[in-house]
Amino acid sequence: MVEYALEAISHAGTSLGIVSKEGVVLAAERRVSSKLLETRDLEKTYVLDDHVAVCVAGIVSDANTLVHYARSVAQNFEATFSEPMPVEQLVTRVADLKQGYTQFGGLRPYGVSMLYAGWDRNNGYQLYVSDPAGNFGAWRATCVGANAQTAQSMLKTHLAGPSGGSGADGADGPGADTHTSATSQDDAIELTLEDAINLSVKILCKTIESSNVTSEKLEIAVLTLHPVSKKPVFRALTREELDILIARIMAAEAAEKAAAEAEKAQQAARAASEAAAAIRANASGSGN
Amino acid sequence: MSIMSYNGSAMLAMVGRDCVAIASDTQLSANGQMISTDFQRVHMVNNNVMIGMSGLATDVQTLWADFRARTKMYKLREERDISPRAFAHMVSSALYQRRFGPYFIEPVIAGIDPDTKKPYVCSTDIIGCIEKSPNFVVAGTCTENLYGMCETLFRPDMDADDLFETVAQALVNAFDRDAYSGQGAIVHILTPTELITRTIKTRTD
Amino acid sequence: METLISLTGKDYVLTASDMTAARSILVFKVNEDKTRDLSPHITMAFCGESGDTVQFAEFIQKNIRLYAIRNNFELSPKAAANYVRTQLAESLRSRSPYAVNVLIAGFDEHEGPELYWLDYLGTLCKIPFGAHGFASNFVLSTLDNAYLPDMDLEQGIALLKSAIKVVQQRMLISQPNFQIKLVNKDGVSVIDI
Repeated sequence: MVEYALEAISHAGTSLGIVSKEGVVLAAERRVSSKLLETRDLEKTYVLDDHVAVCVAGIVSDANTLVHYARSVAQNFEATFSEPMPVEQLVTRVADLKQGYTQFGGLRPYGVSMLYAGWDRNNGYQLYVSDPAGNFGAWRATCVGANAQTAQSMLKTHLAGPSGGSGADGADGPGADTHTSATSQDDAIELTLEDAINLSVKILCKTIESSNVTSEKLEIAVLTLHPVSKKPVFRALTREELDILIARIMAAEAAEKAAAEAEKAQQAARAASEAAAAIRANASGSGN
Repeated sequence: MSIMSYNGSAMLAMVGRDCVAIASDTQLSANGQMISTDFQRVHMVNNNVMIGMSGLATDVQTLWADFRARTKMYKLREERDISPRAFAHMVSSALYQRRFGPYFIEPVIAGIDPDTKKPYVCSTDIIGCIEKSPNFVVAGTCTENLYGMCETLFRPDMDADDLFETVAQALVNAFDRDAYSGQGAIVHILTPTELITRTIKTRTD
Repeated sequence: METLISLTGKDYVLTASDMTAARSILVFKVNEDKTRDLSPHITMAFCGESGDTVQFAEFIQKNIRLYAIRNNFELSPKAAANYVRTQLAESLRSRSPYAVNVLIAGFDEHEGPELYWLDYLGTLCKIPFGAHGFASNFVLSTLDNAYLPDMDLEQGIALLKSAIKVVQQRMLISQPNFQIKLVNKDGVSVIDI
């Protein structure tokens, strides 16, 4: 049964998350199936508490149930301890619920993978992924959904540090239960928030199966700390901000492509002239 | 001694022109013994609503933990802040659910309706019967004194500064004649745009 | 019949708990430990209905320990105090409530020294100094009179000594021994004064 759920998620729109020095980015492809469909600002991203948000991939109705469960758990914790719930604990609780549905017959597992972005006092900015089987792990940057492979390898090339970068290492797989803090010291390159947002747009532009990417097909949200109050703030990027970002990425890409073509042409020319020179040299050589 | 005066408290809420105020004493005593002069009975629910709870301190804390969780769930699901009126009914039903084994608190609720921008003030009894007032509500161990002061000092359509002066004078002079409450006061004034909080030093005998 | 006294200083909290176990007109022992450590940096002193006290304290102690094992980090003093409050408040409206009063002393790396006062009803209050028991009637006057915020350890110990002296001098009930615990950045320790 879990295999079917996993299969369903591999067809869902790509969702990705990146931890940066100044915040966590959640980005997702949204698939607008019809022009007649009413859309909201955030289609797949839900706030669970002031300091945790989640981006879901899979069956939306299942996700709604899980989101409601996670919200109640977080509120219950705060009512008992008078402190915000540590992110990993919340992730664990939801993962435990998911696991329960994989163990006994007659029940269908939740067909949802979730990307959690959070901040807490103990571990700072964090990113987690949980799958329908109840596996979860902490990540520097990762993704779920269709084209996850492509996105994952792009993240790896952009983020892996000198020693390969353990956080964005595909070998771990999104099922690996790493239990490490996402902000722990390792060699992966630490991005600024701006870089992380740009990178997420760049990757989504690649993975979305459409020739022209518009702001309607993307949703991006960031979890940061308020500069004055130092409390976590979650904000969705506006349509206009997305338009500007997409335009910039597209322009950069076009410029890159043009440069690559020019380079190719130049190389070809060089190769041709070298070949000509070689022939000439040969000819004169044989003449001797 | 009644369970309602075990911890001692005095508070009131009052309506001004486009503003509301809650004033409360800040002491916690238990059976007549002073425990702290810095106890919080008034809480901000959101930018439009505040609640003060008089009565048994443990129930104040238990219920605030509950109300905070419920209003947060409301906000997450509805994607908007709860209105003062809706919040008052939430408090009312939470209290009435314990009709035959009640929480020993009498809340006062004050807020500004986010849509109409009209001030809203009400109180309930310990089992949640709402009493909406056009001018002021009082609660605690010296309600007689508070009613007297409020009846004397209240004027309709006070601005935020006048309202502060009025509620502060009403509260301080009421609890100075009460053995169970006092030792400093805190006043919260809520306008459609801001929350002003002032603490008042009073006699500490 | 029992006495708990506690005060916070510049970078520490001191608790004093009497060590007498008595019932009716009989003293059973004078070396009873009325504290339990909830974590390396939190200790809880308790008094109240005998039977309830140790049962409740160890229930709390073991649940907070379980939390630390499960989640790989310790609860903050504030969270621990609120957890105890929740348990007492829930118990208050149960069929057989715990009649236990506690003082929770803790040290937090962000917040510094903290002291929480909790009664059997579940009333939680963060205080600079406080006491439980009959003796609180004398002790609080002594502390009110001489307490200063940011006292160093020497001054704190001197004040605690004078508070204990008042109890032993003025209270009808004999409490010959007090256990003193010190909580600071290095954790909880028992000290002689």
